Amino acid sequence: MTMIRFKCLLITAVTCFVATSAFAQKKLSVVTTLTDLQQITQQIGGDKVEVISIATGYQNPHFVDPKPSHILKLAKADLFITSGLDLTTGWAPSLLASSRNSKIQSGSAGYVDTSVGVPLLNVPSSVSREQGDIHVFGNPHYWLDPFVGHIIAQNIYNGLIKLQPANKAYFAANLKAFNEALDAKIAGWKLKMKPFNGTKIVAFHDQWPYFETAFGLDIVAFLEPKPGIPPSPSQLAKVMNTMSSQSVSVIIMSPYEKADAANLVAGKVGGSVLHLATSVGAFREVKTYFDVFDYNVNLIVAALQKASH
Amino acid sequence: MINRFSFLWLAVFLLIPTSTKAQVTPKVTNPDIALIGDFRAWYTSEGPRNLDMEMSEVETSFRSVIDPFARADIFIGMGHDDGEFEFELEEAYLTTLNLPYQLQAKVGKFRSNVGKINRLHPHALPFIDVPAVYANFFGDEGLNDQGASVNWLVPNSRFYQELSFEVTRGPGESESFARAEGNRMLYTSHLKNFWDLSDNASLELGISGLTGPNSEGRNTTIGGVDITYKWKPLQFNTYKSLTLQLEAFQSQKDLGASTIKANGFYALINYQLARRWFLTGRFDQADLPDNPDWNEKAVSTTLGWYLSEYQKIELGGRTSWGPDMDQSYQALVGMVFVIGTHGAHEY
Repeated sequence: MTMIRFKCLLITAVTCFVATSAFAQKKLSVVTTLTDLQQITQQIGGDKVEVISIATGYQNPHFVDPKPSHILKLAKADLFITSGLDLTTGWAPSLLASSRNSKIQSGSAGYVDTSVGVPLLNVPSSVSREQGDIHVFGNPHYWLDPFVGHIIAQNIYNGLIKLQPANKAYFAANLKAFNEALDAKIAGWKLKMKPFNGTKIVAFHDQWPYFETAFGLDIVAFLEPKPGIPPSPSQLAKVMNTMSSQSVSVIIMSPYEKADAANLVAGKVGGSVLHLATSVGAFREVKTYFDVFDYNVNLIVAALQKASH
Repeated sequence: MINRFSFLWLAVFLLIPTSTKAQVTPKVTNPDIALIGDFRAWYTSEGPRNLDMEMSEVETSFRSVIDPFARADIFIGMGHDDGEFEFELEEAYLTTLNLPYQLQAKVGKFRSNVGKINRLHPHALPFIDVPAVYANFFGDEGLNDQGASVNWLVPNSRFYQELSFEVTRGPGESESFARAEGNRMLYTSHLKNFWDLSDNASLELGISGLTGPNSEGRNTTIGGVDITYKWKPLQFNTYKSLTLQLEAFQSQKDLGASTIKANGFYALINYQLARRWFLTGRFDQADLPDNPDWNEKAVSTTLGWYLSEYQKIELGGRTSWGPDMDQSYQALVGMVFVIGTHGAHEY
């Protein structure tokens, strides 16, 4: 009798042990603010992570509505990865505060800010809302420079190894593979864009300085008179003038901005409107971080080639 | 080529962090501060002075984490009281950040977690006038009291469920409740259920229950339901949205000699016409909690023009009628502006 009891006990203990070790091997649950961060995390974390993004790739990352269903995802997360700065201040802090999850609060091991170490552009020397929706730390759309992809990946890697030091070698190998693939892709994109170095273009909203710098474009005007203020008739007239006098043929914009104003201007001056991918998932075919640039470079090259003929 | 890139970025990576930290420092030491101004002008079809205007309120908010364990939110209002401007502590509460079992606790003075709009500050609502059921049951400012609150994120993986329970001392200004002489408190509870119907639509269903001492030293009990359907296409969420909302309350006020039953509800539709324009229509019906004969009905409409994230101008019209009152008309203009940090809106 006692023997049977002992055996039962042993079996229970072994089962518990197996269950615990299986638990230790459980995938890290990661929540990111943006799809780009989600996709890069997936590449580095491989099968050790399960990653979801709060914002989709086809919506404005400034204006994500903090829904209770997002809180549910954050409550169970091991790691929260944000692009930082003030891109998501309208919604990410309130979601974090409601998550009741101390593991992922700012300052905890489960909080990663991918903007750490990013050389920021358009850092204002003075800050006033007279300038529209301005960004006090500098322009936050930095992932649109593929070079910065290296820094983002490094920050994500640092976060992953802090939580799962046992998988360091695995993450390091994935990081290396990502960096090498990215460098090879960058060389290709630069080559394609080289003939159009210094080309003047117009953008809807001021979210392209990193893209502009990375690929040698020159954005000479915006359809928005000030960031976040919808295009006014006088601004559109000004942009038409600029486009005609400087022979600008292309207006770039995101998938979540209404194209009426851009189409009107392009129609008047004989230019074209390009809806570029602002993030992974912006369009159905944009499935990876590399696809974002493949998509945008191809679109711009085609439009500029057409314009030069 | 490849090596040069990597080296360059490694160098940048090592150099930058100190400067980013330097920029963040002021935010760590100062709370987020905002001032909200609320100006109103109106015309009513009744009374000798039926055209008037006022700087209705200036609200100052201070919000920050205290330490890794809690955050503080303090709202001080300066508003009208019989023509004089007076300071009033609107809300001041501490919220815990890392209690176990998905619990969150709150202590201080706060807007009670009942119904859908009670917790929102008036200037955050898409209309100028408070729904009649809120004004009649809880007062013009909504139910706001001092005490403690616990809420629990129910570990339900299928949909969002949050249960809250509050104990407060008994409010000073409310038709339904009063501060008791003995050790009797106001108890409120709320269950919030939220479903994502799709990426673009959601449904929220809430149930509220309140019980506490009234002016006669006896009990008032109120039950309520709130339903909110929201449609907001993700891709163009800054341009288009639609909200349908219904809240209904039933009150039982024990006055000793008799128990008075009162009902009230409002239904609203809020449609975003364009990026900066919102149109709201609302129907109100409400009894008074201690007058069974009184019944008020109203139809109101508000057009909101949001010039930016920090400023809105609203135009409203309202007509109300009932068995004990003449039909009256009102026209309202409201202007709300924010300076300083601007917190997130509740969904």
